[in-house]
Amino acid sequence: MTHPHSRVGRPTFGQTLSAALAETQLRLINITRYPGQMVMEVVIPIVFAAMPMLLGRASGPDAAANFAANTGTTNYVAYLLIGSAVFTIVSGAFWHVAYWIRFEQETGTLEAVYLTPTSTLTLASGVALYSVIRGLTTAFIAYVIGCLIFQVNPFSGDLLVALLFVLSGLVPLYGMALVFGAVVLRVKESSAIVNLMQWVVSFLMGMFFPVSIFPPLLRWAALLFPPTWMTNGVRSALLGVGFFFDVWYLDLAVLWVFMLFAPLFGFWVFNRVERSVQRNEGIGQF
Amino acid sequence: MNGHVLVDQLAKTYITRQRRGLFKSETKEVPALKGVSLEIKPGELFGLLGPNGAGKTTLIKCLTTLLLPSAGRAVINGHELTRDDNAIRATTGCMLMGERGLYWKLTARENLVFFGALYHLSPADRRKRADDLIEQLDLGEIADRALESYSSGQRMKVAFAKALINDAPLLILDEPTNTLDVPSARELRAVVRQLNDQGKTVIYTTHIMSEAETLCDRVAIIDHGQVLALGTVPELKASLAREAVLRIEGVISSRASQAVAALGGVTRTAVQAVNGHTELTVMAADGAALLPRLIETLTTHQAVIQKIAPEEVTLEDVFIARTGRTLAEDTRAVPASQN
Repeated sequence: MTHPHSRVGRPTFGQTLSAALAETQLRLINITRYPGQMVMEVVIPIVFAAMPMLLGRASGPDAAANFAANTGTTNYVAYLLIGSAVFTIVSGAFWHVAYWIRFEQETGTLEAVYLTPTSTLTLASGVALYSVIRGLTTAFIAYVIGCLIFQVNPFSGDLLVALLFVLSGLVPLYGMALVFGAVVLRVKESSAIVNLMQWVVSFLMGMFFPVSIFPPLLRWAALLFPPTWMTNGVRSALLGVGFFFDVWYLDLAVLWVFMLFAPLFGFWVFNRVERSVQRNEGIGQF
Repeated sequence: MNGHVLVDQLAKTYITRQRRGLFKSETKEVPALKGVSLEIKPGELFGLLGPNGAGKTTLIKCLTTLLLPSAGRAVINGHELTRDDNAIRATTGCMLMGERGLYWKLTARENLVFFGALYHLSPADRRKRADDLIEQLDLGEIADRALESYSSGQRMKVAFAKALINDAPLLILDEPTNTLDVPSARELRAVVRQLNDQGKTVIYTTHIMSEAETLCDRVAIIDHGQVLALGTVPELKASLAREAVLRIEGVISSRASQAVAALGGVTRTAVQAVNGHTELTVMAADGAALLPRLIETLTTHQAVIQKIAPEEVTLEDVFIARTGRTLAEDTRAVPASQN
């Protein structure tokens, strides 16, 4: 047997990757034991999108025309479904990272994983990968089923560019989620913080409307959130609503800037809070 | 050096927030460790004895890198605490929060394999190690069931197996026999002894005196964040050899026990409730000379004596002598010096 302590706490890249994948696998196994949760995650985005969609239909033919005038597309069904599907991914990132910390603190497993030589960065990467798999799967299924139910083509437009926006938006999203994870670790309160933040972000990212209709100050605030660029990028690629900078690669470049700084900022904040918690009450105290 | 622990003047002060009405609060410093120093040699089975709140869990949490100490230093397995934390974690096996440190929706095997990955074992090694531990701890029949269906004792066994997954030279076990039934506790102690015989250093915290007495090479008694006594069990007992220990069982009021504590020649008393009656432990320089006065004082204070006997010095007596109380939860200490 390879003695794990032969490297005295300095794992190889392979060992680090293996630990991160074990974290992902643990969470995937765990979620398969809650089948109702997966069903709920597919159904909720469809129901969310269906409500404004049906309200629009009830408002008569002018509603669709007004919507097209403000958004640049008449396909409000796909527009709303894309918003709620991206919201599923954003919401999942907050719940899977920030709430995960609190949940494990309460169950005692957070202390148990902190006793191992696997770094928080590795564990967070494993959790993020799990969240990506879970979020993308449920968002995709919800979007396709929603489109089929409301009889629109789910695969119109440039799918590859849409996928690029989704994948590029995920990295800064997990940086943000880590910042909120740090807040949860500090204040030992999760549900209220995560709930508040997911709604604030979903509002700012323009889940059901274009952020161009915001007043100037709010619009600028919205543009500081990576999910805003992610949502608009996907909508523009699939429905042609218009990129913020007119061409897709400039919008994508903005997301890449976020991609560079948001995770670094997230880890910096998280490490500082983690050290401060260790200095006082300890990681496992709840 | 593997399995070697050196603790030098380790201190930990918590900052707590005290509520003062709806909107006011003030911070308060609570010293949990007050300059603890000790050395644990490689291959030693070292006991940490102390009641709840004594500081033993804080000490363990500092040594396992979960808490940063406020002052002092420690070197564990040759690695400096707070500087080489990852190396300390890699070379230490811990069982700290019992059954709480496990994923209950997962099976025992899945838990062990997962923690094996976090200790950077290769996939083949972690599976083999999990299989070996399942066999060693007789978990075979339940290993592939979700932990939520286990009894508390079975989960404790899995938590113990988790502490062994990285085959570390140092094991830190915090009250590992809690919630185990008598045969399982005996079995676990035997495995601990066996691991120690194979050369592993073990730090074993407990509040069960007999466990420390039978298992540990050396014992440190901790109370109020300080090491009050440290030595082998015979050494600690010998420190009380000059004193006699009298154990009185019956119905004894607190006034009666206070009166006994005030008697000349009594060095220490402790009272605890045992199976519906009171047990009064009296330590005195000369037991034979004290006995008539002791009986007279008790009967004067309407005590009903069911049994009175001189006893061999136990580790519990050492604990009482050092702390002025027993480890039992419902304990009223009456130090003679205060009367």
